[in-house]
Amino acid sequence: MAYDRPTELLVNQERVPAKGKCPECSEEQLFSYPVLSEGGWFKVVKCRHCLASLKRESDPVGQITIFSATI
Amino acid sequence: MQLVSVDVGGTFTDIVSVEDGVIHTTKVPTDLVDSARGVLKGADEVGVRDALVFNHASTAGLNALLTRNLPKVGLITTIGQRDILDIGSNIRPHEAIADPRWRRSFGDANRPLVPRYLRRTVPERMKADGSVFLPLDEDAARREIRVLGRCNVEGVAIGLLNAWTNGVHEQRLAELVREELGDIPVVMSHAVSPVAPEYPRISTTVIDAMMKVIYGDYSGRLQNGLSERGFTGSLNFGDCAAMLAPVETAMDRPSRVVFSGPAAGTTASAHFGRLIGRGNLICVDVGGTSTDVSIVLDGQPIINTSLELEPDMVVTTLSNEIASVGAGGGSLITVGPGGEIQVGPGSAGADPGPACYGRGGVQPTMTDAAVLMGILSPENFLGGKATLDYAAAVRAFESLDTPLSFEQRVQDAFRIGLHNIAEGIVDIVIRNGVDPREFSLVIFGAGGPMLIPSLLDMVKVREAVIPPHPGLFSAIGLLSSDMVFMESQSLMIPLDESAVYAIDAVFEKLEQKVRDEIGSNSSVAKFVRTFDARMAGQAFETAFIDAPDGDIGTRQIEEMVAKFHAVYEQRAGNKFESMPVEAVTFRVQAVVEMPKAEFGAVPRRTEGTPQPIGDLELKYLRDGEKRTGNRFERDDLLDGDVIHGPAVVHERLSTTFVPAGFVLQVGSLGEFVIELEAKK
Amino acid sequence: MIIDESTDRIRNLTEREFEAEYGASRYTCNVLANRSRFVAGHMSTNIVTRAFSPIISLNMDYVCAVVGPPELDYPLVGMNQGNFIFLGSLATGVRKTVEEFGVDRLAPGDLLVSNDPYRVGNHVNDACFIRPVFHGGRIVSFTVIRAHMLDIGGIIPGGFSLFKKNVYENGLVVPPMRIFEKGEPVKEVLRLFLDNGRFAATLLPDFFTINSSCALGDEQIQESVERYGLDAWLGAMRYSLDSSAEAMRRALQTLPDGEYEGEDVLDTDGADSEEIYRFHVTVIKKGKRVEVDLSGSSRQARTSLNATPLDAQTSAALGLKVLLDPQTPFTSGTYRNIDLVIPPGTISSAMPDASTHFYWEVQAALVNALINALAEPLGSRAIGGLYGSTNLHTGSGMTPDGRPWFSAAELEAQFGGWGATDAGDADGHTGTFTLNQRLTPTEEIERRVPVLLTAREYIPDTGGPGKYRGGSGFRKDSLFLADGDHWLMPLHFRFPSGFGVNGGKAGRVGGSWFFENQDPDKPECEYRLVGATDTDGVVVSGVVDENGALDENGEFAFFARVPYWTENKGSTLRWITNGGGGWGDPFEREIEAVIRDVRDGYVTILGALRDYGVVVVGDPDEDPEGLTIDEAATAAARA
Ligand SMILES: [Zn+2]
Repeated sequence: MAYDRPTELLVNQERVPAKGKCPECSEEQLFSYPVLSEGGWFKVVKCRHCLASLKRESDPVGQITIFSATI
Repeated sequence: MQLVSVDVGGTFTDIVSVEDGVIHTTKVPTDLVDSARGVLKGADEVGVRDALVFNHASTAGLNALLTRNLPKVGLITTIGQRDILDIGSNIRPHEAIADPRWRRSFGDANRPLVPRYLRRTVPERMKADGSVFLPLDEDAARREIRVLGRCNVEGVAIGLLNAWTNGVHEQRLAELVREELGDIPVVMSHAVSPVAPEYPRISTTVIDAMMKVIYGDYSGRLQNGLSERGFTGSLNFGDCAAMLAPVETAMDRPSRVVFSGPAAGTTASAHFGRLIGRGNLICVDVGGTSTDVSIVLDGQPIINTSLELEPDMVVTTLSNEIASVGAGGGSLITVGPGGEIQVGPGSAGADPGPACYGRGGVQPTMTDAAVLMGILSPENFLGGKATLDYAAAVRAFESLDTPLSFEQRVQDAFRIGLHNIAEGIVDIVIRNGVDPREFSLVIFGAGGPMLIPSLLDMVKVREAVIPPHPGLFSAIGLLSSDMVFMESQSLMIPLDESAVYAIDAVFEKLEQKVRDEIGSNSSVAKFVRTFDARMAGQAFETAFIDAPDGDIGTRQIEEMVAKFHAVYEQRAGNKFESMPVEAVTFRVQAVVEMPKAEFGAVPRRTEGTPQPIGDLELKYLRDGEKRTGNRFERDDLLDGDVIHGPAVVHERLSTTFVPAGFVLQVGSLGEFVIELEAKK
Repeated sequence: MIIDESTDRIRNLTEREFEAEYGASRYTCNVLANRSRFVAGHMSTNIVTRAFSPIISLNMDYVCAVVGPPELDYPLVGMNQGNFIFLGSLATGVRKTVEEFGVDRLAPGDLLVSNDPYRVGNHVNDACFIRPVFHGGRIVSFTVIRAHMLDIGGIIPGGFSLFKKNVYENGLVVPPMRIFEKGEPVKEVLRLFLDNGRFAATLLPDFFTINSSCALGDEQIQESVERYGLDAWLGAMRYSLDSSAEAMRRALQTLPDGEYEGEDVLDTDGADSEEIYRFHVTVIKKGKRVEVDLSGSSRQARTSLNATPLDAQTSAALGLKVLLDPQTPFTSGTYRNIDLVIPPGTISSAMPDASTHFYWEVQAALVNALINALAEPLGSRAIGGLYGSTNLHTGSGMTPDGRPWFSAAELEAQFGGWGATDAGDADGHTGTFTLNQRLTPTEEIERRVPVLLTAREYIPDTGGPGKYRGGSGFRKDSLFLADGDHWLMPLHFRFPSGFGVNGGKAGRVGGSWFFENQDPDKPECEYRLVGATDTDGVVVSGVVDENGALDENGEFAFFARVPYWTENKGSTLRWITNGGGGWGDPFEREIEAVIRDVRDGYVTILGALRDYGVVVVGDPDEDPEGLTIDEAATAAARA
């Protein structure tokens, strides 16, 4: 699958605010976004303050869907 | 018939004298101020009046290089090429690949052999085909040579680009150096190492010039001293492949002898293997800091065409291929981050040595583990001449910061050290594409017999052999070798009919040079032609392929190609007969056979069984392993004796450990052959 | 997955707890963890001594690895210490390949291959070979080799063109396929590679060598499983991963908490000179957790100057290791506490159908940006910036006697100066942290290519001044003895790459020129040997004054203003590389070190005064040992 080149010169990762409270530091500033770590891509919900993960869900596909792999 | 060899080490000088199968050895401290004086003192101890040969090896040159205690030598090179020696081949050693603090050991930012201001460039340029692109600017050259003179250099190396294809600029520069600076050593790259490419050739040239300064009057003093003592035999130097060269030949190209010690062990093994009918050997030389592993194939040591003294510091000279594993008897035992036992690469060295030596060592070593396990016995150590401090070994292991029990620490340490050595052996076996099941381990070095038999089942070899005198076996190597004269020349040429005249010409030229070197011995010498070649597109050469004698015509070239493919298949496991082959370097060796050390036969046992000298009580073994057995004295054992493990055999400089499940049999020259019981 | 926070959990386990957790003793796990690294090392010995392609046997552009089975999620547990460029792609790329092919379809002796960068990272030349290791009918590991294929088709021999606009211009893309089946070659798949790549005769033997190396690793792993049992083998892998994670956590403890930003910049992507490519790195460190965020980085390039997220992961982990923990072995556990945040569509995370051929340039810039980001918090442990780009060159043409010539990646300026550290001055001619390649000897090049390398020499006053000096820049001149076309890919001459740290100064920025031969009819021996100070060249790339000489206040010359450079015989190509960054205040450099640098020609007398405040008297060229210091003037200059 071909993707378009971003139109903006500098690209930022979108972080979607998530509801909840950090179990470690009680901070309420939580965000949902993808990360690449041990084991590949994950969809995470993390505490902005202490970086604790409230959720880590493995995402085998990641950023790119390869068209030929879908047949 | 008496044969004498001398190995000058950094601390001690070993002297071996063999007479009618009796091997006599002695050790004198190395005279660091005048090492010839130390050697002559050794000569006095064994007497040299009747000696046929006096074969010599020394680490003086190597030590000077490694410690950078070097004579001041200048380098003259082609304009624009001042930094060849700083760059080397640009590769980082594996352990440093992600280390930002790493610097090339011989680079200008670290410890260069020739500082940059003594590397002078002159306008001149040779092309790859040997034609002159830019003539030598003699006025400019004289100016640069005078700068070197102002700095009082003791020798000059001349290394120009593409000089191996045409040496006239180097020759003219050598003349200019003599005119300007008088009679100091001058070495030209096309003469010392007429092979491409530039870095190894020029590195060799510089090292050769330094060795000329270092060994210059040393060899003269040695010769005079020996003749004053009535010596009329031949004085020879052992080289990096433990082949011998008469002193004049060696001093003409002393880079050849820069690293002669370790090679001797491989050559001693090959010689001993011939005497006991074994041609395929993996030689394992266990020292205090490391273990050297090398291979003998069909009776011949495997030879490399160059040698690394430090990572990427290269000398192009034939050398026995030796892989060094960072584990030996003095290797330190430490604790890794997960609480696990680690062995090496650090070492307790000669001073203080293992904790059990009682000379102030507090960290445990492999030798301490062997003491605690009961392999080394405090009463029988070094023939009772030295004592072992058992309590110090205990304290050293207790001091380790790990949750492991004391028993576990000792047990793990011994086995992990063995694993490290076993992996090193496996790696050199893979590198050379040989099948270990057809090979015997030859074990020597003082710590070898104590450690190596235990890893017999890890490396899947046929058997282990422990020769007589394992503690000084290497020193016998200089009395196990032939005299070899050699010349080589790079010539890159496709092996097809177009090569006919060129190959003839190069072999003739090399053979003439060799004949000139040998002089009167020429008639008894056996001439051997070989070549190095590669397939089109291949980036490395396959060395030492036999070449036919006589005229090289089309049929002989076809023979050389066929031979290449056969050798390649034998070494690399694959055959690609459709690929065109290109020759790279041609070599001629003239071998003059030399008298060699003999080993006296051990009598055959006619009655009874070997009598133990005591009980063996082993500790810290795996569960279920048999712990009790006997101790023996090597001198009590006779041809045909069989000893079942666990057992320990003591001798003056080493201790052999036969673990449970292994069996030792004594051979006719007193060698031990150790095998797995199950196999027996 | 357990996110463990401890730095010494493993050490504190009792022997009983250890065995309960890892299914074997500490000793056994330790032996087997080492064993996976040794197996990768033995595979490497096998391939490097037998491969045909110079890019494998001399440049060592390959890696051998042991990867864990599907039940452990394909972790990287052992690799040889070769080129680090392949690191990030090993675990995730292997999983992608095996799962897409189908784990259930694999049999003993199979060898899978894939080279699709969007599946396995890197570029299409770097094929990924995977062999399942079976024991008792079950996959217990994979032996993996990633190796550069000399050619894979595409618009230019060898593939090293920056100007490939998309994956279709790269050459052959191979989805997960079986290239050996039960030990036997699958001939139609081999033919697919051989019919699409140039130099097929050199490629063919390499496929067999790669297969035999993977088989060797397979055999050795089976032996170990046989000897120690499957539970121990699998437990040792988990132990290995946990140990690496702990090692990285321990290393991270030495970095103060905070948010640190750094940047490196590549000049252009070669499409035009307007768009500058920024690598923005934010390191957020909280306790033992780290996020490396590439937000604020440039969008993907229009050419092949791109990388995949797996390649960026290589740089993030390698950069942290270089700075904090260079010694412990690498596994995928090293990533455990490092989250890489990387928006889609950046130059480090290009999306199909962009070409990623030049991914290593992206990796090197990312590492440099990370080193830059942590310069402040690391203080005296900081390291100076490196030389920047590998400045590739590809050339081809006809010799005067009518033979075609071709040269790739040898008349470039691939190496350069490192940054100084607390350990001292740096070398001036070394590879990037991601690469470790051998220099092709001049005499070997000159035998194959109609060229004379007329200079490779350091230039004074180019290494970043400091208490410890950065590696010097050098001049590399190639005089061509035949007409030819030259593709040049210099990427870091617009802004300094070798930033100074801890009070040190930046290394000087270099450039690239052609000195053209005005009279192609004159005999070869009259071609001009270009002098070190000549300035009458045509600038290819660099920030220069109106005469084409380097001038930091000048204009940037855009190298791709022509698609390639057509030069007649007798022309000289010149590179001047960037100097590495200095460490510490140059006015605190020992006076002996300054005088030594002047004596050796690394610093001029003028430079000694300007950069180091040391007044050296004498003639360094004519009387190098006669140099002296004017002590009073030096004291005044340094005051
Ligand atoms: Zn929190």
